[in-house]
Amino acid sequence: MNLALHILRQVANAVGLLVAVLVLNFCLIHAAPGDPALVIAGEMGGASADVIAALRVKYGLDKSLIEQLFTYLGSVATGDFGYSYYFNAPVTGLIAQRIPATLYLVLSALAISVVIGTLLGVVSARKPNGLFSQGVTVISLAGYAAPVFWTGLMLLLLFGSVWPILPVTGMTDVARPKVGFAHVVDILQHLVLPATTLALVFIAQYSRLARVNMIDALTADYVRTARAKGLPEFVVIGKHALRNTLIPIVTVAGLQFGHLFAGAVLVETVFSWPGMGRLVFESILRRDYPTLLAVLFFSAVLVMAANIVTDLVYRLVDPRIRSGAR
Amino acid sequence: MTAVESTTVKTDKTVLPVSAAASPTMAALRQFARSPAGVVGAVVLLFLILATLFGPSIYGVDPLDIAGAPFTPPDADTWLGTDYLGRDILAGLLQGGRATLTVGGVAAIITIMIGVTIGSLAGFFGGPIDTALTKITEFFQILPPLLFAMVLVTLFGQTLTTVTIAIGVVSWPSAARLTRAEFLRLRNLDFVKASRAAGAGNGHLILRVVLPNALPPIIVSATLAIGVAILFEGGLSFLGLGDPNTMSWGLMLGQNRNYVLNAWWTVAFPGAAIFIAVLAISLIGDGVNDAINPRLRKRG
Repeated sequence: MNLALHILRQVANAVGLLVAVLVLNFCLIHAAPGDPALVIAGEMGGASADVIAALRVKYGLDKSLIEQLFTYLGSVATGDFGYSYYFNAPVTGLIAQRIPATLYLVLSALAISVVIGTLLGVVSARKPNGLFSQGVTVISLAGYAAPVFWTGLMLLLLFGSVWPILPVTGMTDVARPKVGFAHVVDILQHLVLPATTLALVFIAQYSRLARVNMIDALTADYVRTARAKGLPEFVVIGKHALRNTLIPIVTVAGLQFGHLFAGAVLVETVFSWPGMGRLVFESILRRDYPTLLAVLFFSAVLVMAANIVTDLVYRLVDPRIRSGAR
Repeated sequence: MTAVESTTVKTDKTVLPVSAAASPTMAALRQFARSPAGVVGAVVLLFLILATLFGPSIYGVDPLDIAGAPFTPPDADTWLGTDYLGRDILAGLLQGGRATLTVGGVAAIITIMIGVTIGSLAGFFGGPIDTALTKITEFFQILPPLLFAMVLVTLFGQTLTTVTIAIGVVSWPSAARLTRAEFLRLRNLDFVKASRAAGAGNGHLILRVVLPNALPPIIVSATLAIGVAILFEGGLSFLGLGDPNTMSWGLMLGQNRNYVLNAWWTVAFPGAAIFIAVLAISLIGDGVNDAINPRLRKRG
């Protein structure tokens, strides 16, 4: 009943934090060595005298820092994150163009890792000292320690030259149609390797988490009660124990959205996936600061959105919180 | 292992709530030695450290010298092959490990120092200080750490120092949350109240009374922070954000990554080195966890 109010409070908190990110961006531009105008123009960009002079006027670089901060916040409020002199386009447009590809990648990796991670954890919890369980432990250790870009490169090597059954670069095939079902299949095929690479890291963590929580849940009183009243095993595990196993996974998955996004930067670079991560790599290469800082901001927006969604899912999964007993 | 030893250095036995056994370090070490995973991890890490310390002079090949034709596959002369410039991969691994492991260790120290400072102040004092510090922590948590580190290194220059500091500056929030939770749990326990009644000041209470008792989970998280820092260094270098003048495992990966389809060894070995190092460190983390958290030993 207080859900609307709760969401409202969350959003207000999010807006506050995002403004703080903008202030941080502003501070970074001014703290970086060199002339802020040059920083904004980007070292490789059109640092011609005209451009620099125009920037000085636009951001009021001769005024006090406080005035400059408000000028900056004002232009951001109108959706203006500056101009990328390398891509020769407004930064906002660049990012809007790249968001869908990144979301495909990040969300499918999230789905794969939560489903497979939970499944592995739950199955291995049934016989904690069994062979399968030990295999899962090894996989989760390895998945945690393997650098995601290296796993990606090794998969690229495997499917690029040894066993070429999957496309290894880009998001679509030039030769294929750009509409309809064939287009979807095309994208999905290109998505398999990047999404799997990114998911591997998180499968490792979620399987470990699911395993520990499932082992705990299986010794809990309510599971003994459920078994005692004669419920079939798959109901005991699938309905009662699984719910309590999912709660920490949902929490951690939400908290790790930032890591997921950072992982996407590396994975997109390996597989030339045309998302925001690839944009980050290109803007690092060209010292394109406006783009880089705008991506930092938008990634914070994504993380905040993920946190709010997590909170809602959390309430859905855990009735104790839904009833407001917090 | 050194982390375990340092607990006793900081632990003031007179204020420990429970009278400790003759030597808690020895007890912890004995426990650690019982964890096969931890011992394997420690041996592997020790081997890597020794290899990077003494390897370069024993192997005697300059990692920046042209040792053969570019992309020579692994053979009897160049054991792990050569890279795109014809530099010896094994020499690069031996030399590059120094930078990678150093960055990992120092960045982890920075991470823990910031995290423990903020977390202990927040947890100990509570109230408005806690609210403010928790807000700051929350703020740092919404910035994807690796991405934030990329921005810092891009803006402030690609040196090993910048990379190390950047990794430390972006990674501390989880250590801060952990420390805060421990301090919240401990600060109202009887032994803390007793010390306070005996006239101990806040500084003494934080550093000598509460912190020693909060250390076990912090040590585990410090161990894991080294692994995370090594992965971050690799990720930054992979994107071309490492120090181009210092050989490191990440740099080797980043410089050779475009040739992976033609010369797998240029990329496979440096990546494997990172993988083995991080794996060893997380095994040590598990072992340390078992040694100082006997309660958890039976869990998965």
